[in-house]
Amino acid sequence: MQLTLNEKRLLLELEKRGTTTPDEIGKILDRPADSVIQYGGLLSQKGLARVDRSVTKTLTLTDEGRQYLTEGLPERQLYNSFGESAPITELNNHPHARIGLGWMKRLGWVKIEAGKVIKTGQAPLSPLENSLKNPNDAPEDIKKELLKRGLATEEESVRYTISITDEGRRVASAGISLTEETGTLTADQISSGAWKDLSLRRYDITKHPRPIWPGKIHPYQRMIDEMRRILLDMGFTELHGSIIQGAFWNFDALFQPQDHPAREMQDTFHLAGKQDLPDGWEKVRDMHESGGDTSSTGWGGTWDPEKAKATVLRTHTTSLSIQHLATHPEPPVKAFCIGRVYRREAIDPTHLPEFEQLEGIVMDTHVNFRNLLGYLKEFYGRMGFESVRFRPGYFPYTEPSVEPEVYIEDLGWVELGGAGIFREEVTAPWGITCPVLAWGLGVSRVAMLRMGLTDLRELYQSDIDWIRSMPVVHGGRC
Amino acid sequence: MPVVSLPYTYLERLCGTDRKTIIDHLPMIGSDIERILDDQVDVEFFPSRVDLYSTEGVARAMRGFLGLETGEEVYPVTPSSISFSVDENLKEIRPYIGSAVIRNISLGNEAIISLMGVQEALHWVVGRGRAKVAIGVHDLDKVTPPFRYYGAPLSRSFVPLDFDREMTLAEIMEEHPKGRDYSHIVRDKPFMPLIEDAHGNVLSFPPIINGELTRVTEASKNLLLDVTGTDERAVMTALKVLCTTLITAGGTCESVLVNGVRMPDLSPVLRTISVPSCNRLLGTSFSAEEIASILQKMRYGAEKTDENTVSLRVPCYRADIMHEWDVYEDVAIGAGFAHLKAELPATFATGCEHPIIALASLLRDICTGLGYLEVMPFTLSNEDVMYARMQREPDPEALWVLHPISEEQTLVRTDLLPLLLDLLRMNKRRELPQRIFHTGDVVSSCKTYQKLALASTHPGADFSEAYATADALMRELGVSYIPAESSDPAFIPGRAVDMMVDGRKVGIFGEIHPGVLNNFDIDQPVAGIEIDLHLLFPMDQETKS
Repeated sequence: MQLTLNEKRLLLELEKRGTTTPDEIGKILDRPADSVIQYGGLLSQKGLARVDRSVTKTLTLTDEGRQYLTEGLPERQLYNSFGESAPITELNNHPHARIGLGWMKRLGWVKIEAGKVIKTGQAPLSPLENSLKNPNDAPEDIKKELLKRGLATEEESVRYTISITDEGRRVASAGISLTEETGTLTADQISSGAWKDLSLRRYDITKHPRPIWPGKIHPYQRMIDEMRRILLDMGFTELHGSIIQGAFWNFDALFQPQDHPAREMQDTFHLAGKQDLPDGWEKVRDMHESGGDTSSTGWGGTWDPEKAKATVLRTHTTSLSIQHLATHPEPPVKAFCIGRVYRREAIDPTHLPEFEQLEGIVMDTHVNFRNLLGYLKEFYGRMGFESVRFRPGYFPYTEPSVEPEVYIEDLGWVELGGAGIFREEVTAPWGITCPVLAWGLGVSRVAMLRMGLTDLRELYQSDIDWIRSMPVVHGGRC
Repeated sequence: MPVVSLPYTYLERLCGTDRKTIIDHLPMIGSDIERILDDQVDVEFFPSRVDLYSTEGVARAMRGFLGLETGEEVYPVTPSSISFSVDENLKEIRPYIGSAVIRNISLGNEAIISLMGVQEALHWVVGRGRAKVAIGVHDLDKVTPPFRYYGAPLSRSFVPLDFDREMTLAEIMEEHPKGRDYSHIVRDKPFMPLIEDAHGNVLSFPPIINGELTRVTEASKNLLLDVTGTDERAVMTALKVLCTTLITAGGTCESVLVNGVRMPDLSPVLRTISVPSCNRLLGTSFSAEEIASILQKMRYGAEKTDENTVSLRVPCYRADIMHEWDVYEDVAIGAGFAHLKAELPATFATGCEHPIIALASLLRDICTGLGYLEVMPFTLSNEDVMYARMQREPDPEALWVLHPISEEQTLVRTDLLPLLLDLLRMNKRRELPQRIFHTGDVVSSCKTYQKLALASTHPGADFSEAYATADALMRELGVSYIPAESSDPAFIPGRAVDMMVDGRKVGIFGEIHPGVLNNFDIDQPVAGIEIDLHLLFPMDQETKS
């Protein structure tokens, strides 16, 4: 238990005395009584002492009262001024005649007969006369009398007593060191070396500090950064690009048929304005209509360049991947992108119109489907998903396609993203002759699993308390 | 993706195995099990595999996958004398029709439900909501060939399905539930597509509704199929899937002459695939025999031609086989993904950050060092938050969403500071001080740029804090600026600074105007900063390595 020096000294004195007053201790410790009361209060918080407060009333004689103490009360002075009897008219000349005569009569010292005051012979000291010597010892009715006659005044005074508790005795008997203690270490004490003679006060470590909130990176961003680091470590180049895309790059270049429902206003955010088609768009048209120079049949029908010029908010980052491939058709290419994508969905706890998507592509001369599975296993493994399995999938721009699933305690196998090899219909228009492995992943979905979120909005419309309380080092991986 | 309901008893009978084996293997042939019920399992199949949208189709694939029956199913078609004429006046409206006759079928309740299911799925996936393809199935014995497909006037009338009175085509479009759902496809056309028999009995008003006359019941023995549409290939795909499903269900198929063309053609498509090219793509070392055997499990007709070649008969219902790689995928599925060993290749490459993202990381370092907490608001916003509450004029370069889904998201953000203020509003009950920042994309005149914004709120937040913070920020960014008095109405006059670099405004900071605070329902003063990063660090926005 931590005690200040003053508390210690008080406790030691209490040990000797049991119960005492602040005045008494104040004299011994050479401290004002008020300070002693304060030390006592601190000791009592620790259960070592008890401070009792009592209020007492004290009578003090007025000037008049003190005068009567030496000269006697007016009735006594009057009584002593005459013999066995005296005419009233004579007594009326005495200075205390008015007060004294009434009291003498009331007390039964005299009787009045035919204009004369006659002593009865009985004139003992009255209780009031007695009380003047020690007014505080007087009975209550006499005190009232003193106050009423203006012989004394009353003052209230608070008295403290301090007593030691059993716990206090135990602590004191266990031994207390009375070395002087220092709270704040000063620059002077440090440079002068005075600190060597100081006893620095110990703190109560059971008391929690007031919380402070450091500035920090958003928990979701930290997870995104972790994914970026994994992919950079694996030798991938990072892509970044416009969130506004032409339908050509978002759909047509990815062999999405022009009448595919996902392209409609219902599912995709369309924006005003038209985007120019890039050089080489005719090959994409041919691919759609007839499979171009490949073994593909294409979708048939007529491909409409106007539809491809529509402006949309990108629905996937694959629109960036294909543009990167179109400008980098020679192997090897290893690239990734984590970026926001848009779907025309009403907001609810698990659907948002915008969210992050991760996408990786690998193009090289001899890469194959098993390598794609290898990349997926490696990436998910580094993300902390040890068990990964694969089942068939479908995406318009990949063939073969695969849906990876990861095993999560309490949830079982959870589908996490999609992958495949870009169709030749996608790569051939840009002169790409090597296979392109590709996979994508909804980043916010991983965040939900990792952080145990039930509402995706928490990521984007965050409660500041949530960000403050999420530890930077997130031990609880799913 | 449409959900297909597979009743256990029918499925087990058609597959020849128990439900547990089937359910265990369903994901491996490419389906998502939606729910397992007491009497049926509901599954989703990929839109590419329309042949799996019926219990019959799933059973056919499952028997092969389990090795109970491999190789192609053969679908004999015998000629009938039934014919269709297609009128020229439909050329611009709905020119294509496919037809076939299915005889001697005994449709149990389960088969009828399955038939309705595949019809619905085809309407959705291939037919694009009946616009591209619509299907009618009729009781052939109620009508008399030859049939006629032609454009009829709106005044033509018949008794549509589920009604007991004659209605004109115009009435059907307005009053029949299906009319209300699908009349938009043919509205404003000069004629309506109609199919009638030799006596003028109406079979169907495609793509809207059949006639009550030819309603299919469990008593129906002989069926006439009509598939109409705007895309010939899609029409034929739907017809083939329907015919093969009904043959698997026990019927026999007879062909129909449509304007002199005999259909359906249920013969397989001949293809050859290259064994080395298949192995290269999959990373496998299968022999030609192995590939042929795997593909037989996937219900192809497949034989080794030589060591390097396998010749295929691709079933007519496999409309998804457009390219050689589509077959390779079936090799991988048939072999089982679990048997393909995952392996990393030796592609050498060094990792490389994108400079824009790298800059964002540095900004996060600076801002968190200044004690600010990162937030990640939406990029879609609205004119109220972005401009009106900020007391600012709308940005003429802002990009508006054409069909917003709600009033909350009508445009792509052009600034970040308003979104920070909105977040402070949401967090007004949280402990002060609150200091938050965000860096990210904004869009102006169709181009994506990056900005950075910071906001601090507490009883002492003021111009001095904004100035000191902005000054530290610019110092850490290594940029010197000249402060110029700002007239931005979002800030208190005389307490706002435009940061000028080389004579251009690159950012702003100051004490937010109390009117703005009222608009956002914020109770405490706010010091705010916003910086245009692309003006400080011009960078190529497009992808680059």
